[in-house]
Amino acid sequence: MSTVTSHQSPSQAEGPGAVWAQATRAFDRWLSGDPAGLPELVDVMTPVLWHVVRAYGLPREQAEDVVQTTWLALVRRSSAILDSTAVGGWLTMTARREAWRTARGAGRTLPTDDEDIAVHLPRQRSAEADAVDREGARRIWAAVDQLPERCRRLLRVVAFENRPDYASLAVDLGMPVGSIGPTRGRCLAKLRVALLANGDL
Amino acid sequence: MAEMSRERLYAIVRAAYEERDPMPDDLVARMQQAVAAAEAEEGLALELELMTLVERSTDLAGARGGASYTLRFAYDDVDLLLRVAADGEHSRVDGWVVPPEPMTVRAVWTVEGAGTSATAVSDTGRFELTDLPLGLVRLRLEPQDGSRAPFATPTFEI
Repeated sequence: MSTVTSHQSPSQAEGPGAVWAQATRAFDRWLSGDPAGLPELVDVMTPVLWHVVRAYGLPREQAEDVVQTTWLALVRRSSAILDSTAVGGWLTMTARREAWRTARGAGRTLPTDDEDIAVHLPRQRSAEADAVDREGARRIWAAVDQLPERCRRLLRVVAFENRPDYASLAVDLGMPVGSIGPTRGRCLAKLRVALLANGDL
Repeated sequence: MAEMSRERLYAIVRAAYEERDPMPDDLVARMQQAVAAAEAEEGLALELELMTLVERSTDLAGARGGASYTLRFAYDDVDLLLRVAADGEHSRVDGWVVPPEPMTVRAVWTVEGAGTSATAVSDTGRFELTDLPLGLVRLRLEPQDGSRAPFATPTFEI
């Protein structure tokens, strides 16, 4: 467990709530006329957008395009965001919409597999002391991998979002709104069982 | 499932994906370049144009010890009339944009970290901002017509 958390960036380790608050402060600074607020907002939210978009099974290059489209939409439509505390949610919702549209447009049957994730594994790390850590991380990965595809996608989106609204999630994930809550509960239970079986919880 | 363990599971999921499918190293830098370019294109990178204060009057008939006053600002062909009322800790601003046009009006506090508060202008050009904290503030007007850059009032006190 500690093995994996040590690889998180500090902001992500604090969870989405802290990230969203940081995003709001940066957006407010930009609206107040401080030009540094916008690059800061990009810095804070781009990793979140990446993971939300990749949950749709888009190849990395297409995922980057979706992230960029989302940022351009923010600049062009910032006046539509009346409540600056909602900027994080606005960004992730816009990214989900665009990811869903792109995935459908490409004729991908949502979701696709993670074939191009494997290419980036394992991440190069130097010390041999990492071996134990890596073993722990691999076991956690195995637990996540055992989950059905729809679970992996839903949990990835929900884990990086801050209390996403079920109605919009349902549309963007192609699931009935009433099934989001129960599905999420079942997926979490499955993950928990898998981690317990591996001795990681 | 207890909230604690749910949050822990989410943290595990986040950590796992950050490890296995991290964003490209240079993605943030490229996105920052893209927004900077879009910002310039939209005229958002420029210093905000300030409206001119045309008129200010104090309304002595404020109720219950509260105070209210009116301000009039002008910029290009836009006239902005404000009635600012403060009562105890809170205040409200009633505004009227002439000629009416779809825009967002955002109250921006000059104190760092005080946040913003925004509303949409109605078809008749009216808007209201309520429950504003007292202090120095300015209003940022953002026309929905993307070809027009936002502009702002000078700072005034609520």
